[in-house]
Amino acid sequence: MEKTMESRDLLNVKDLFVNFYTYAGVVEAIDGVNLLLKKGETLGLVGETGCGKSVTSLSILGLVPPPGTIEKGAILLNMGDKVINLLKQDDSALMKIRGKDVSMVFQDPRGALNPVYTVTQQVGEALLLHKREEMCKRLLQKLERDIPKSNTFRRFIYNCEKKIYERMINNPKSLPLRLLSRIPIINTYQRRLRNESKKEVIQLLKLMKIADPERVVDMYPHELSGGMAQRVVTAIALSCSPRLLLADEPTTNLDVTIQAQILLLIKELKEKMKSSILYVTHDLGVIAEICDRVAVMYAGNIVEVADTFTIFKKPSHPYTQDLLQAIPRPGKEFKSIRGEVPALIDPPKGCRYHPRCSKVMPICTQIKPEVAEIEKEHSVMCHLYKR
Amino acid sequence: MGITIIAFFTVIALLSQVFAPVPEGHEDPFRIPRFGWFSEPQPPSPEHLFGTAQWQYDIYYGCIWGTRTAFRIGIIVVAGNLLIGLVVGTLGGYYGGLIDELVMRITDIVWAFPGLLLAMAFVSVMGPSLDSIVLALILVGWPSYARVIRSEILRVKQEDYVEAAKAIGCSDLRVIFKHILINSIYPIVIMASLDTGAVVLSAAALSFLGLGPPPGYADWGQMISLSRGFIYKNPVDPLGYWFTWTYPGIFIFTFVLGWNLLGDAFRDILDPTLRRR
Amino acid sequence: MGMRAYIIRRLLLLIPTIIGVTLLIFSVVQVLSPEQRAALYITSEQQADDIDEIIEKYHLRDPIYIQYFVWISQVLKGNLGFNQKSPRGQVLQNILNRAPATIELTVFAAPVIILTGIFFGVASAVHKDKLIDHVTRVTSIIGWSFPSFWLGILLLAIFYAALGWVGPGRLTADANVVVRSAQFTRYTGLNTIDGLLNGQLWITLDALKHLILPVVSLTVQSVALIVRVMRSSMLEALTKGYVVSARAKGLGQREVINKHARRNALIPVVTLAGMLSAGLLTGVVITETIFNIPGLGSYAAHMALPPPDIAGVLGFTLFTGVLFIIVNLIVDVAYAYIDPRIRLG
Repeated sequence: MEKTMESRDLLNVKDLFVNFYTYAGVVEAIDGVNLLLKKGETLGLVGETGCGKSVTSLSILGLVPPPGTIEKGAILLNMGDKVINLLKQDDSALMKIRGKDVSMVFQDPRGALNPVYTVTQQVGEALLLHKREEMCKRLLQKLERDIPKSNTFRRFIYNCEKKIYERMINNPKSLPLRLLSRIPIINTYQRRLRNESKKEVIQLLKLMKIADPERVVDMYPHELSGGMAQRVVTAIALSCSPRLLLADEPTTNLDVTIQAQILLLIKELKEKMKSSILYVTHDLGVIAEICDRVAVMYAGNIVEVADTFTIFKKPSHPYTQDLLQAIPRPGKEFKSIRGEVPALIDPPKGCRYHPRCSKVMPICTQIKPEVAEIEKEHSVMCHLYKR
Repeated sequence: MGITIIAFFTVIALLSQVFAPVPEGHEDPFRIPRFGWFSEPQPPSPEHLFGTAQWQYDIYYGCIWGTRTAFRIGIIVVAGNLLIGLVVGTLGGYYGGLIDELVMRITDIVWAFPGLLLAMAFVSVMGPSLDSIVLALILVGWPSYARVIRSEILRVKQEDYVEAAKAIGCSDLRVIFKHILINSIYPIVIMASLDTGAVVLSAAALSFLGLGPPPGYADWGQMISLSRGFIYKNPVDPLGYWFTWTYPGIFIFTFVLGWNLLGDAFRDILDPTLRRR
Repeated sequence: MGMRAYIIRRLLLLIPTIIGVTLLIFSVVQVLSPEQRAALYITSEQQADDIDEIIEKYHLRDPIYIQYFVWISQVLKGNLGFNQKSPRGQVLQNILNRAPATIELTVFAAPVIILTGIFFGVASAVHKDKLIDHVTRVTSIIGWSFPSFWLGILLLAIFYAALGWVGPGRLTADANVVVRSAQFTRYTGLNTIDGLLNGQLWITLDALKHLILPVVSLTVQSVALIVRVMRSSMLEALTKGYVVSARAKGLGQREVINKHARRNALIPVVTLAGMLSAGLLTGVVITETIFNIPGLGSYAAHMALPPPDIAGVLGFTLFTGVLFIIVNLIVDVAYAYIDPRIRLG
């Protein structure tokens, strides 16, 4: 049975445990993560490389690559009329959700695009997958209008097309339809559909502030600059107006100036589309720019969660404090955190941060701390704070 | 496992004398001794372990001494290919520019041909014999080596230690040998071992077609060509002459398999990118 | 740059290569004496007797560059010489006569090889380390080590000698009689198609039956390479970012494999197509010889046998050389079509 969620919440990750079974041993990548994302808010997930942030967002989509296995936990998604546990869905149900309700923007934009297909084809892929019915209906309406106006021959063709599109809506996987689509000359009926999707793609690209979208749609990924590629990837993610957008370090690989542009874009889109965003990054500066709340992650655990202002002003977990101090600032002393991120095959016992913690106590080496809510909407996982 | 097979064959080759002693009065050990003049092959018997082929050539003898032939062919051809390929590839890769262009054009022209066909042309012009096969295969096979060597040289040339060596004042030859080649060795080794098998196959094919040593010579391909007319015996015992084509074929197959396995093993060891443990 | 420019560029490159090839062949011939080389120029039975006249007419004792031009001009006129071995006749004519049999064989063999190779390569990569992967890899090493002619013999031994299903040659005896009779029009020379066109379905079936063993023989030789390359390129494609990206859009695993990964994985395999055609050409020589198919391959084998028929051997070599170059051109163009980075970059 699904546990209840408040209607204001969109995503609730509960007690997520993910292990990777490698030849070298078992890597305990995610060690009991809890996240709550409210509707319309941007939650930042910040942490060093290797702490498990990407794995977390991939788990939400159910795309953790093997040898990764989701051991236990629940990921509850508020779909408006009901709440579902993403981890309990079978693959076909997940396929409907991916790209439509939950979508992802990737770190390496050119890697995320297939080099042999054009922009239209790749953005259109998502559209056709999830919005096919809508588009067919629109096309049918157009056909309805055109039929009376044309001569008999045209009328015949249009009526055929009409039937085909109706079939598409009602019975998309029907065999005759699939066969038809493979015959070279007859399948030009798809041309109408493709033109329609092309128009939508151009609209999307305009939304992404890409200049000259009519030209860009026919380009191949290797012809795009980094910034443009990232906009295209974002366009793919937003094409079906998802409830939840997972952004996995979308600006890390870009130049700083482009980074600023993309961030600005995301900010605007946030307003327009009213999506909720889970923004994964290691860059605290970005967090400060666009996130409402922040979750700090270390070695597979969420160590502190608070709104952005609080995190910067009143960091409570030793790791958060150390992180903030490690940002180079003019005038202030630069302190890097001693030690290294632990290998998660054999993680430290107790609190995973204890080897590097400046405030370590004996209990930290033995027992994993519990999450304590030290003020409203501000929780910390540390022995220093008791419930 | 490939090594085991090759070792097995090496032993046979080296000890051909022991396994199949040459009868007295017989000058050239590579000509299979005949034990009669019947044209019909005789099945295996205590004297002729594998039976006899058409015109009573002892198959066992042929197979054993054929091992030596196979090694000879394989090693000489590959060595020849390596040599020419080395020279050509190095010239092109190291000196670049016009020399490179010229060299590449020549390579391309020879490479433009399906190897065996060109070899056939060569052999037919030179007159068929074992030596012409060897020569033809050398002439036909070097381009692939030249290409690989050249691209390896181009790759290694850019590394810093080559610059460093030149800066110290090493002569060109020294740079080539000491630094570049040593590092380019891996793909070449893989290629050579895989190629030995392929060369023996091609040579056997040419012999089979009649373009090789004369009938009665200890060469596997030649022996199979002798068996061509004896696939079908009679309705009662259709596969009666099986021994004429089975034994030499098994020898060829296992020999080539051994080299292929060896080459694959090399490749697995030496090419870390293919490791997906 | 566009496809058109690319094609034109490749066509231009074609010319020097062909010239080079002719030079190569020509120089090989120079080893022989003028009397032997005369065979390259005669066109009919009578001329075979007037060797000296031929030598004079075609400057066979003159310096090499003159000879080369004379020869090239003859070739361009279609005179490739005269075969003195059977079948006697003009070389060009003989080659063209034998071509259909070979074409039939390759036309049936090539798709089998390509499709089998791709299928097993993909399956092997997708199900890595499972049973089908191991089976495929083992089979392909074994196939690669097999002497092609031995395979042919074994196949004949099993299916012809032992089981008596089908014999060597293109058709059974009765079918042959029909095909050569006056009532049967040979439109294409391909028995399978001609059978259909003449309304004699059984001939088509007979021809197909006879094609099975040779095609199998050809396939085993060539498939191993394709499987290996396809597998490794597929393995690589599956690790790429766009795979995850496509799944994040909501595509199923199978769709992703077919639509995205496979298309990218095919790219390196296309470059193999050139090598494949080389393999087919050589394989055809042996296969035709073993299975008694009167095609170009057996023609070549026959001509090369001592004493060699120079005109035949050289005519064949020239013909296949040019053919091969053209095939490579087509492969390069196909390559550019599939991978947009090549034609635009």
